Amino acid sequence: MELLSLFDITFFLLVAFGTLVGIIFGAIPGMTATMAVAVCLPLTYALGLHNGLALLLGLYVGGISGGMVPAVLINIPGTPSSITTTFDGYPMAQKGEGEKALRICVIASVFGGLVSAAVLFLFAPLLADFSIKFSYVEKFLIILLALSVIASLSNSMLVGIFSGVIGVWLSLIGDYSTTDGGNGKTRLMFDFMEPYLFEGFSLLPVLIGIFGISTILLEAEKGIKSEVSGKSVKVSKDAGFSLSIFKGSLTNLTRSSFIGTFVGLLPGVGGSAASVLAYTQEKNLSRDSSQMGKGAPQGIMASESANNALTGGALIPLLSLGIPGDSTTAVLIGAFTLQGIQVGPLFIPENTETWYVMMTALVFANIVMFFLMFYAIKHIAKVVLVPKHILFPIIVMMCVVGAYAINYGIMFDVWTLLIFGVVGYLIQKVGLEVAPLIIGFILGSQAEVYFVKSLESAGTFTTFFTKSPIAVVLWLLILASVVFSVLMSRKNRAKQLQNIAS
Amino acid sequence: METGLSSLLSISVDFENSHLFFPTIVSWIMAVLFVIVLATKVAPFLVAVKKGERSLPILGEPMDAWRFFGTLALIAAYFYLMAVVGNLFPYTGYGFLIVSIVFVLLMSLMYMHKWTKKSLIIVATNAVVAPSLVWLILAKLFAITLP
Amino acid sequence: MMVSKKVMTGVGSAALITTMAMGSSLAVAQELQGNVRVVIGSTSTGADTYQNSSFVVDELAEHLDINMKVDAVGANAAFRTLDRDPRGNTLMIFHDYAYLGHLYGVEGFSDIFEKYAIGPAVSINPGNAYLVPKDSPYENLEDIIAAAGEGETIRVAIQPGGVSEIGFSALKNAIAIEHPGQEDNLVAVNTGSQSDKNQQLFDDQVDVINGSVQANEQFTRLPEDDQKAMRFVWLTASEETIEQAPEDGLGETSREQLLEYVEPNVNVTMGDDESFTFDKEFFFLYNKDMDPAIVEQIDEALAEIYEEGEIQETLKDSFFIPNFMPSDEAEAHLKEKAERYASIIENIK
Repeated sequence: MELLSLFDITFFLLVAFGTLVGIIFGAIPGMTATMAVAVCLPLTYALGLHNGLALLLGLYVGGISGGMVPAVLINIPGTPSSITTTFDGYPMAQKGEGEKALRICVIASVFGGLVSAAVLFLFAPLLADFSIKFSYVEKFLIILLALSVIASLSNSMLVGIFSGVIGVWLSLIGDYSTTDGGNGKTRLMFDFMEPYLFEGFSLLPVLIGIFGISTILLEAEKGIKSEVSGKSVKVSKDAGFSLSIFKGSLTNLTRSSFIGTFVGLLPGVGGSAASVLAYTQEKNLSRDSSQMGKGAPQGIMASESANNALTGGALIPLLSLGIPGDSTTAVLIGAFTLQGIQVGPLFIPENTETWYVMMTALVFANIVMFFLMFYAIKHIAKVVLVPKHILFPIIVMMCVVGAYAINYGIMFDVWTLLIFGVVGYLIQKVGLEVAPLIIGFILGSQAEVYFVKSLESAGTFTTFFTKSPIAVVLWLLILASVVFSVLMSRKNRAKQLQNIAS
Repeated sequence: METGLSSLLSISVDFENSHLFFPTIVSWIMAVLFVIVLATKVAPFLVAVKKGERSLPILGEPMDAWRFFGTLALIAAYFYLMAVVGNLFPYTGYGFLIVSIVFVLLMSLMYMHKWTKKSLIIVATNAVVAPSLVWLILAKLFAITLP
Repeated sequence: MMVSKKVMTGVGSAALITTMAMGSSLAVAQELQGNVRVVIGSTSTGADTYQNSSFVVDELAEHLDINMKVDAVGANAAFRTLDRDPRGNTLMIFHDYAYLGHLYGVEGFSDIFEKYAIGPAVSINPGNAYLVPKDSPYENLEDIIAAAGEGETIRVAIQPGGVSEIGFSALKNAIAIEHPGQEDNLVAVNTGSQSDKNQQLFDDQVDVINGSVQANEQFTRLPEDDQKAMRFVWLTASEETIEQAPEDGLGETSREQLLEYVEPNVNVTMGDDESFTFDKEFFFLYNKDMDPAIVEQIDEALAEIYEEGEIQETLKDSFFIPNFMPSDEAEAHLKEKAERYASIIENIK
């Protein structure tokens, strides 16, 4: 076959190497797939197009996957899209099931990655045409749907929604960016803050501040009592893991993978919305979701399959519209232009070879990721055995590196860590809820842009209902999600009353 | 009727002030929710505190003040000095490297409950090796800008 | 008074560090030394500013044999970083947005000609373009100006405040000159990224979009019945600039075809027979207090690099036009350019 002549051993080694480096980047809190790709971009110049893409796609897949490691083991999402992995992954790790949780993550990830690669391969141009049916209004409704998860995620619905609104409010601090079509003016702050807060708080430092630094503060308050963070680690050979955990989860995995692919496909709707949406849908639709948030494997499966499915999804608009689906693919555009290749609606028909090369790299990277992670987990999971007085300073140091490097060297991002570490500490002390707040923060600024732009162009609120059939469908989904969470909270309250009565 | 409703729903967003449009809405929602939370959650809680049934967060809880405030102070000093020292050696990452070594060492010592010779050696080695490794890989190998 | 040993060592090592730092700066006085960081006004590492900067900076680093690194920190952070460092360890590269932002009154922008020193110009991105749907009733820009003159509302998707808006402003100005009082028929629809602008066109929410040759060329080759098909009506670059582009142009659109959309074939008047053009130029910005010797050093080094001619090939391969101007020349040129555009923006207020 002619195609085979395109590949040599270097190609596969580069994919594998890229995946490995990507996993390491992803596993460091604050280092992301985007950064891994950006850092290695100059290398691709020397490598040539195909080998360069091999390396970059490996980095991409590895970077997205690596985020699961700190999410599960130390409750810090390594990348924003692994936030929902912390909800169930960390409780499992605390029960001594970290290794098991990570294995579930890996399998869910490879599933999501391969499903999205298949979708990319088979339906890219078709889906690109579908994606342009989503305009401001529809994108706003998708964000709203993802935000509706807040209601079902919280212990007390009122407090949860309040926390979520605080998160949205915090995300609006700074300028209404001209790159989003805004007028570039700042709001919600005083003039003296402008030099630091012009662009608002960056997402990643906020995330690792709230999750990482505040956890350390909470522990410090208690005096760093227990020596190690995992209570006990199950030492059985298979760590309590067997494939039977996945029994009955095919629907969940498939649904989450498609949600991930779909969100990736929509330019401008950030990747973290993918895992949040998948997580909610699992919570709403599964037969028994009572354990979700307390260490349920199904939560991890939803989250991880969705965030790995992003990879294939985000490549669809890149390769068939020339428009990046997320921040990492935005950097990939650079790789193409460096090599003098144009991406756009004619990319696939005009560069068939490159297209096949990319598909091969994507699939192979997922496989490499699976084997690297699955067999390394046993050793990685031992992180929880490191004494806290060694582990915590290192976590702080890594958080600093990540925060400083995320926007290519801005000191204020490091201070953001401390600010939100303290904020996160206070939030948990006064009984506000962290997860809704963070989800509000992640989605807030996108909600603003799409909301305001919808109104600007339509001039009436009715546009949200009458814009298109897609909008109507999204409204039904939002309604269902809200009704469901109200019912859930009623049921929970009834149960609590029953418990008290008996 | 119809026209009344549609004029009620119609809106024109002035671009010059559009940066305040959404924040105003969110601020109002937040304020209303805050009042409701105050009335339904905080007030009953404060009453319970007064009766002595529950205690205030942070203030009414036992706390390892030395480690807690020590952590805060140490982190603040770490961030501050990193930039200061880094400024002496522009864009080499030495600021990060030097200050991190000191920080990791001090924080480890603060968190350690029993000081033994063995554990001190481990802590000291870690304080030198971990930051150096990070610096070597990121600043040198990948040329990432560090303070 | 007792001074503890600890304080003494502290003071001692601080002094040592300072002397070391000072010493090294004295040794190779007034030239670039140590590690140099080049901050750029864009946060994207996939976009044109980063690419141009890294081409130039890589060459420069090799030529001067020092470590240089491009960091995509964004306009606001870049200006602030530059403010704080007069030593020459921080340099900045940006394009016309640097002064256009100020002219349009965008928050956070100040007058660069006053606050900073202008360094050498290095290259041009000739791609700034305006497009219409392939089945648009407007054949060319002349039709659009005429239609607006007859009272038709024409909506243009742009990103406010910068390179994307200047072409729009010039067009509005041209309508005001040719059809006085009708210029308000040209309406700006403020959008963000290229994907948002394209989307507005697909949705028939706008009649014209700002785009670029690089990002939109493939869309112009789609069949007319495709919802996504577009066609160019105007490239803002000057004829002289496009003439320097590779003969093959970009994708399947040759240089000759591109020249059809450039003045004098497309005429956007500025009054007095003068025609508006806009080249998006990339140039260095320095801290005002930086040693003039460094300015000279970089000017010389770049002159030699452009003399060798290799960088021109690299730039052209990526559809950029090499355009070296030493600092003085660049400053005079950009000042004059800014004044011209200031008058347009003033006219249509």
